[in-house]
Amino acid sequence: MASFDGFEYEVIVVGSGAGGGMAAHVLTEAGIKVLLLEAGRDYDPITETPMFHQNHDAPLRGTSTSEKNFGYYDATVDGGWQVPGEPYTQAPDSRFMWWRARMLGGRTNHWGRLVPRFTAADFKPFSTDGVGTDWPVDYEEIAPWYDKCEALIGVCGDNPGLDDTPSSSEGVLLPPPKPRVMELLLKSACESLGIAAVPMRRAILTQPKDDRQACFWATPCGRGCAVGAAFQTTTSLIPWARKTGNLKIVTNAMVKEVHLGDAGKASGLTFVNRLNRENVRVNADYVILAASACETARLLLNSISEGFPNGLANGSGQVGRNLMDSLGAGVSGHIPALRNRPKYNEDGHTGNHLYIPWWGREGQKNGELNFSRGYHFEVGAWFSSPSMGIAGAVDGYGKQAKDEIRSNYGTNIGLSLRGEMLVSDDCYCEIDEKTVDQWGIPVLKFHWKWSEQELNQVAHGLKWGRKIIEAMGGVINNPDRTAEQAIEAGGQIIHEVGTTRMGDDPSTSVCNKWGQTWDVENLYVMDGGVFVSNPHKNCTITILTLAMRNATRLAEQLRASKEQKHHG
Amino acid sequence: MGKIYQAKMSRRESIKRIGSMTAVVMVGGVTVACDTAEPATPESATNPSTGHWPGIELKPIKGPTYGTDPIVSAPTVPWPLTLSEEQKDQVAVLSDLICPADQRGLSATAVGVPDVIDEWVSAPYPGQQRDREQIVNGLQWLDDEAHLRFENFFAGLTEEKQTAIVEDIAYRSQYEVAQFELPARFFSRFRRLVFGAYFSSPEGIEDIGYMGNVAIAGDYPGPTDEAMEHIRQVASGLGLPPITEYVNQL
Repeated sequence: MASFDGFEYEVIVVGSGAGGGMAAHVLTEAGIKVLLLEAGRDYDPITETPMFHQNHDAPLRGTSTSEKNFGYYDATVDGGWQVPGEPYTQAPDSRFMWWRARMLGGRTNHWGRLVPRFTAADFKPFSTDGVGTDWPVDYEEIAPWYDKCEALIGVCGDNPGLDDTPSSSEGVLLPPPKPRVMELLLKSACESLGIAAVPMRRAILTQPKDDRQACFWATPCGRGCAVGAAFQTTTSLIPWARKTGNLKIVTNAMVKEVHLGDAGKASGLTFVNRLNRENVRVNADYVILAASACETARLLLNSISEGFPNGLANGSGQVGRNLMDSLGAGVSGHIPALRNRPKYNEDGHTGNHLYIPWWGREGQKNGELNFSRGYHFEVGAWFSSPSMGIAGAVDGYGKQAKDEIRSNYGTNIGLSLRGEMLVSDDCYCEIDEKTVDQWGIPVLKFHWKWSEQELNQVAHGLKWGRKIIEAMGGVINNPDRTAEQAIEAGGQIIHEVGTTRMGDDPSTSVCNKWGQTWDVENLYVMDGGVFVSNPHKNCTITILTLAMRNATRLAEQLRASKEQKHHG
Repeated sequence: MGKIYQAKMSRRESIKRIGSMTAVVMVGGVTVACDTAEPATPESATNPSTGHWPGIELKPIKGPTYGTDPIVSAPTVPWPLTLSEEQKDQVAVLSDLICPADQRGLSATAVGVPDVIDEWVSAPYPGQQRDREQIVNGLQWLDDEAHLRFENFFAGLTEEKQTAIVEDIAYRSQYEVAQFELPARFFSRFRRLVFGAYFSSPEGIEDIGYMGNVAIAGDYPGPTDEAMEHIRQVASGLGLPPITEYVNQL
């Protein structure tokens, strides 16, 4: 058993976000001692979240800046599209944006909490449409873990029974909030077009659970949630793991290399203490990487040894390859018929109460579409707290302009397309040999190119998004915008996955179906790197679920081997 | 504080942006406060064939920023303010022309809009720095134009004369009038900031009728009866299927 600072442990977990937080929770509950390394600072949502602050309490009325990319109150610490002193680079003609946070809990502190399940077809893309690769697991195997994970973190939503919305078992879900009026109008407009709008599943407690309070229907979730109603690891998995007495957390620990020991096993790793810049070497019996898909790939690629000259656990050459994000594009407009509509409190859980799941599977089977897979629309259409952009397109000045803004308040609608891209040889990350970060660690260089597949899908989404808003009597903003203009940069949707994919074949995948690397038996990956494809459904619930399942298996194996030793 | 620039009547050199845009930025189904600064202008917009534009070039502000880890529960504005007293007076006059008091709400100055504009243009961030250059030039253009037409500075004119100038630059269609293109683009940007600052103030929030940011125990109440009745009528008017309350399928 290794030890650090007087604490004895068996497993090191790198990263405290969705994957790392879940791994730490599962292992410590099973009585296994865990050393958790987090690159960022300690962070406590209970004392730090600016609940109930209004835009006028913040500099620049909360508007986003180059230092706070999602606005002043966004929870992200020392990060966003750039982390000070920790650059990344891009190949010529590649545009990729990489959102990072340097804080306990990572990006779970600010995420959208949208948690749709993958479907059976999502796990078997090749079998479904002949493109890409099947996952080494199927829905039947994962479904009970989705249930357990949803029940643990707390998910509101329902089971509409569509082919894009697998149902949870009875009693798992918490009731979703009532839709707002524009969402009801959207639903009606969708019905007229033969498509459905249903409750968005979100990791929001609509009823109290364990030591967390229910949502009180105020304060944007992106700030973090001091009462624990919006799921983040810093108000749930991490404090629970701490309570077991089996966890030690080291913050400001930027891991730079995983070491390979005798017998081809990982022997430990070296991190940079960000406070004093010292290198610290720690040993471990087991290492779990959950630093985020790209950061984990970077760490493996930077861990060079005689046995692994191209990066640890990279016998397949797949580390850093197969990088995927969700497609992103927006369609927006306003609904003149809703001018001066009756006011009421539309904060709700501050996310969309309804969304539009993918409706095109039948059309695809019948060969009617010129792209594979699909997308969903997230919806933004409610009376939100006024911000600096509220004037919209108002012209002129004086009382008339002022009244125009009042009348238009609450008439805007935004539909955000979130779609599935295909694995591509054009999209990957590698080490940029010419650039190191402020800790001396070589940085990632991103390669990115959208294909016809993605552009065709976005074109379809723009057409249908406009149809939907027009069915609501709406006027479209930028009606002539093309797919090329509308598609967001790679990485911009912050759903990057795939860089250490799992599979059945060690020559084409990095991990087996348990997140265990093929090449190094005591080294695991439990973040989004293990994804084989990136269905349009937001990735975090599947990261959490796979980490729960795979950490549970590891815990069982460790317990079994202990018992064997005990009896032997 | 003295004047931070020299009044000029020269043909202008460059500004770098186009007119106001509407943007809805969404993250995970959640609207995000978006940067309202605007993208670069095409080259054609930077060389007006007629008219005047001060062409003041400002040194970049290098003041302190709030950093990437501010104490968000106790916000502070760390950068010094930069508008002169004269500029602030002018901002005040123009803000109230744009956003006057009426039956439903106060004027821009009554809710402190000029202070917000000063904080905004003084901020050491790229978007705000671009706004600063446009606004400082725009304010100077107003003074120059006031001198040309009425031999006085803008804030010293009667409201009637101020309005006469504003009428020439207050509409986007005036981007097409060569001599007013740049002043009109300035005005659009300034208007957006004035109304943003007004309606996001505590008084403006009440004026516009935002009713959220209050804790509610139990279930989310959802739309009021009045709001439901209204949306039913809207749907019916649009020939859409009837609005029904969503029934959860748990």
